[in-house]
Amino acid sequence: MMRSMNATFSKNRKLLPLAATIILFCLAYGAGALFYPGMRDSQVFFTLFITSPFLLINAVGETLVIISGGIDLSVSGMIALTSTASASLLRGGWNPWLVMLLMLAMGAALGTIMGLLITYMKVQPFIATLAGMWFARGMCYIISDLEVRIYDPTYKLLAGTKLLIPGLADPVTQKGDYVTILVVLSMFVLAAGIFISQYTRFGRTVYSIGGNNGANEVSARLMGLPVNRTKVLVYTFNGICSALAGIAYSIYVGSGHGTHASNGYEMTVIAAVVIGGTMLTGGEGYVFGSLFGVLTTALIQTLIQFNGRLSSWWTSIAIGLLTLFFIGVQSLLVNLNTRQLARRRPGAVPGKQALDRRMVFAYSAGIVVVLVVGALLMPTIQRTFARTFTSATPASSACDLKPLRKDQAAQLMKDGAVITYERNGGLRCVDELYAIYPDGRIVADNGQQKLTKQVAPADVDHLLSDINKLGWFTDDMYTTNHRPCGACFSYATTVSYNGQTKTVEAVDGGTDAPANYWQMSGEVLVVVPQFSTPSE
Amino acid sequence: MKKPRFGFDVRKIVESRLFYPSVTLALILLVDAIFIPGFFHLEIKEGHLFGNLIDVLRNSTPIIILAMGMTLVIATGGVDLSVGAVMAIAASTACIMLNPNLIGVRLADVTREADPTYSASPLWAVFIVPLFIAVICGLWNGALVAYGKIQPMVATLILMIAGRGIAQLVTNAIKIIIYNNTFLQLGNGWVLLLPFALFIAAAVFALAWFITRRSSIGLFIESVGINARSSFYSGIDEKKIKLFAYMFCGFCAGAAGLIAVSSIRTSDANQVGLYSELDAILAVIIGGTVLGSGGRFSLLASVIGALVIQATTTSTLAFGVPASAIIAVKALVVIIVILLYSQQVQDFVRRLATQSRPKESRS
Amino acid sequence: MTESNSAIVTMQGISKSFPGVQALENVDFVLRRGEIHALVGENGAGKSTLIKVMTGVERPDRGTIRLGDKETVIRSPLEAQKLGITTVYQEVNLCPNLTVAENIMIGRQPMKLGSIDWKTMNARARDVLSGLDINLDVTRTLGSCSVAIQQMAAIARALEISAAKILILDEPTSSLDAHETQLLFGVMRKLRADGIGIIFITHFLDQVYEIADRTTVLRNGKLVGTYETASLPRLELITKMIGRSLDELDDVTRLKVSTSHHIKPEPLVHAQGLGRAGSIEPFDLELHEGEVVGLAGLLGSGRTEIAQLLFGADKPDTGTISMDGVQVEYSSPVESIARGVALCPEDRKAAGIVDDLTVRENIILAMQASLGWIKHLSLQEQYAIADKYIKLLNISTPSADQPVKNLSGGNQQKVILARWLATNPRLLILDEPTRGIDVGTKAEIQKLVLSLAEEGKSCMFISSELEEVLRTSHRIVVLRDRRKIVEFGGDATEQQVMESIAGSK
Repeated sequence: MMRSMNATFSKNRKLLPLAATIILFCLAYGAGALFYPGMRDSQVFFTLFITSPFLLINAVGETLVIISGGIDLSVSGMIALTSTASASLLRGGWNPWLVMLLMLAMGAALGTIMGLLITYMKVQPFIATLAGMWFARGMCYIISDLEVRIYDPTYKLLAGTKLLIPGLADPVTQKGDYVTILVVLSMFVLAAGIFISQYTRFGRTVYSIGGNNGANEVSARLMGLPVNRTKVLVYTFNGICSALAGIAYSIYVGSGHGTHASNGYEMTVIAAVVIGGTMLTGGEGYVFGSLFGVLTTALIQTLIQFNGRLSSWWTSIAIGLLTLFFIGVQSLLVNLNTRQLARRRPGAVPGKQALDRRMVFAYSAGIVVVLVVGALLMPTIQRTFARTFTSATPASSACDLKPLRKDQAAQLMKDGAVITYERNGGLRCVDELYAIYPDGRIVADNGQQKLTKQVAPADVDHLLSDINKLGWFTDDMYTTNHRPCGACFSYATTVSYNGQTKTVEAVDGGTDAPANYWQMSGEVLVVVPQFSTPSE
Repeated sequence: MKKPRFGFDVRKIVESRLFYPSVTLALILLVDAIFIPGFFHLEIKEGHLFGNLIDVLRNSTPIIILAMGMTLVIATGGVDLSVGAVMAIAASTACIMLNPNLIGVRLADVTREADPTYSASPLWAVFIVPLFIAVICGLWNGALVAYGKIQPMVATLILMIAGRGIAQLVTNAIKIIIYNNTFLQLGNGWVLLLPFALFIAAAVFALAWFITRRSSIGLFIESVGINARSSFYSGIDEKKIKLFAYMFCGFCAGAAGLIAVSSIRTSDANQVGLYSELDAILAVIIGGTVLGSGGRFSLLASVIGALVIQATTTSTLAFGVPASAIIAVKALVVIIVILLYSQQVQDFVRRLATQSRPKESRS
Repeated sequence: MTESNSAIVTMQGISKSFPGVQALENVDFVLRRGEIHALVGENGAGKSTLIKVMTGVERPDRGTIRLGDKETVIRSPLEAQKLGITTVYQEVNLCPNLTVAENIMIGRQPMKLGSIDWKTMNARARDVLSGLDINLDVTRTLGSCSVAIQQMAAIARALEISAAKILILDEPTSSLDAHETQLLFGVMRKLRADGIGIIFITHFLDQVYEIADRTTVLRNGKLVGTYETASLPRLELITKMIGRSLDELDDVTRLKVSTSHHIKPEPLVHAQGLGRAGSIEPFDLELHEGEVVGLAGLLGSGRTEIAQLLFGADKPDTGTISMDGVQVEYSSPVESIARGVALCPEDRKAAGIVDDLTVRENIILAMQASLGWIKHLSLQEQYAIADKYIKLLNISTPSADQPVKNLSGGNQQKVILARWLATNPRLLILDEPTRGIDVGTKAEIQKLVLSLAEEGKSCMFISSELEEVLRTSHRIVVLRDRRKIVEFGGDATEQQVMESIAGSK
């Protein structure tokens, strides 16, 4: 009786993390649907797939690499390189299918080189693939410094075709739930990944060499398995996956550039794999689990979008915490394992250390709770903090964001202004438009009153040349625009200097607006007249 | 043990930990000297030195500082991936303390925002609190590694992912502009013709050297990295040593974060310290400390490693490679250096050396 | 049982030396078809080296190996496997994360339409195991199975993949309980009946008598002899393993006699009912200043475990330790060292030396650790200490700055001794300090131990060589099967001690 129960448990214990992920996913989805009626639309579910086909393709390859006991950080670089290279080849008029084939070959080649370095030259996977990532990213800029847009009809077709879901859509009106071709592609890769990992000798050898702190690799060698070949091939396979993900990415965004898939994309892939129940130490996990890892990360983003008040950076915190949680579950399982062994092999693991570890876990859990609570309270604390410095004006967040007065700014430029600087938003939804003229006159307009200020013309010249030096008229200064967070501002600035005129917009919350934009903003703010805070 | 008895011991120099990093640095500078006219040109402008060499020194300061902490962590057999994120956290904390007004409600007297002497908190606190928070981050990493027995790469990955989110949380994701002149000196100031940050890097180096070599901590770190079990039997508290290494690494990340944010004048949680963990790890590897197994370390070699990385960057720029493409060159340099250090290549070279002498040895 | 007595492996004149140690010296070994051949000997006797030579892990310096009547050179473990030589270790070399069936079949999985045919594979694995009279769910992960089952799986893999002719079982029973051991023995008997030659390495003599047809005894890298187990009395076997004729009244013995009156009557350390489940039964023990206490017993009898408990490396479940009559709570080596207890651990390479550090750093390591993080020995002090002990212990090294890994085994051992002497301990526990080092150094260390006792330190001396224990100890504690059996005075004869080690039989 006991024995059979034990057996069932031990057989299914490996599934525990995966089961936890699936349950968590369902709970989170259910909770989302409960709070945000918009999420009850079934298309939201399909959108989870539509927004992350490349992530899924990457996760499949990465899962195998991690199971083999390695890690591959090059995936994000490979996406950037594939997108840039294919975009420029397409611009050169190449056949799109040939381009895709070439990209896959390139991915396989780069993956193989990294695999060879790792396997035969004993370079740590972390370092080798990191170098691979840098190399790939750097090559993007050698191919093209600027974003290359893709106009190829085949790519457009692949991106635009909607595959309607039978039963949930009306084929006549072409309305209803749909997925894209990329989703089908990613599901195909997922199926291939599952097949390779479960039903080929290669896949099983991948499992056999990972985990157990390298002891399994030694065992596998002693068992006469082709360890070296398998290790290289795992990276080759992941290289192909990365190239495929890159193709999917370029189809999805319709362009190629070195900054594609940046900001820790590779970490998102790894987190998705870990959340999907794969042990970062290797040897255990399921390719199928990574599907739920990817869906969970996508769901977190969706929830944050539906919430509307939380900024996008909550995504990374949530993913980090989830990763921590799953790593905690994993080490708990490992501990369970060693304790079982200890029971069999007396004296192997001192009981005290195991106890210590449990204590530490209790402590760490406590710290996490404190951190989370602290993080949740932070905005409130900040607001109170900020209020103590002001003459106690109640911060009403329920004001309407006014649109940027672009036409008016353009008119001012026509009237001879050299700089127009507009910012609106913030907690009080201000709407300020400043115009600076070459003769030193500055006019400020916040919709209700106008202020003027006179500075020396030389100051204006100085300001203009400073802004020019910041790279205003180069490609390093680009527009980023979206709806700002509750307390954030959006900006639109037009500068005219030496016959050049350029407008750049930015939002100061959660976007990647160029750092020099804020430098410019700071310099302008010093010069312009200040509106007094309205006293109510 | 045959020893050549020359005026100086060639073998000792070749086996010194500083040898390979120094040779690498010298080679890079040599290439610069040959191909880039005026690379070594220095001039004094507005009371400070200008030139490519100064650029190398100045831009390498955050890497040097990070490398100090990273050296200790890697020497214990670990690694800290979260330093970049910790830099961002420290930077955001400093900014919010300098100027909390951009968040929520603006000051009544708004002009103070841009006042170069204005700071919302006492200036000493602006330096101390971020460092303290960074040390707490290190404590968290160290606790997970030493007491939670989680693999270092995995344990620090957590903070690496979540850290940037936390950094943005601190400033509510607003990019705060720094006006305070004293704080700006950190990254932009000049003292005695040299960048001020360089003196901070020197101070951190001196501190690290003093802590490790003027106490027994350095010996314990090496001992734990080489053989944790022997160290345990010798009465060394392995866990506390690891905890200390990660905390010191956190401290260094905090210091580097303050310098970085001061030099870009804006709290930008997505940019401060981006990819810094990689630079730091590479600097340590080039310095000859072995990633993964730890053991013997040399702080000076890590400093040279940091200079190698920055020199590569600066000279690639001077060659006219676009700034964004530099990482490709860096990647190649890294792989070459690692291959040169690898056992396989060194064995191969040794075999070549022995083969070339007597011809009868191999069939 | 043995229909055919023809040899399947014949090893002749095998010698193998490692830097500083002669691991095997002119050893002959013959394994016959269909026999279980026990290979016994204490630590460092050369069992594992002999096995490594046979499985191609090491190449012998001299000697020949013949398989059947063909002379063969075995270059690698893989080649050995192909030749039908399979080894199953105590730590099973399989993948615990895969299922039992996969572990048996991996690399040769049956394929159907380009994919693995899991059904056939599981059935085949089940067949192989049931051929060994083992019936279990082969879809369980190997890691969740008991060690015995893991060993069976390894044996099954050997039979399935390489049609094994020779099976080497390296200490397979040391982590098995009685029931599991019987399970394994059942399999061994079955394989013997099938004509497979089995080499069985163990330190449990009961098991040797239970299952082995013949027994080969090694000692210090030399062959003592091969015997029919049934006709070899137990006491004689133990004598062959650990005994040696005593050179009466050599220097060491004289020193021992002359120091015996320095022993203080009141105990320095007193352990009462100290025990730890699964490693040592509760025991009482008194250690006096000026005395050398020897622990005698076979490998695995609980010698090392006592040392670990007294040093605080392991935590006891029951009992108390008092020092100078005051009860103390040991929980870590740090605290023990602070109280003046030092332990030279058994495994020099894994737990003793810190190989990349220099001789100087290795010597001052424990002393520095007891001083703490901040208080730092200056370089001059370090050199002074290192040079003192290099001279005192006659450590042969080019300089104190030599990495300790470049030293020979004996000198490494002296460095570790120096490390502990530098902390000026009151109780010095030496676990196998003379293993794997040459005879001259051995005598030096024995003398050193006695002179330390003369200085008023309390020493505990653990060794696999009974003769050595007898020569150096003022008092001898005999252990058997993780239990303290009896204490003898320093004048005990080898015969007396041997009999109590062997038990009543």
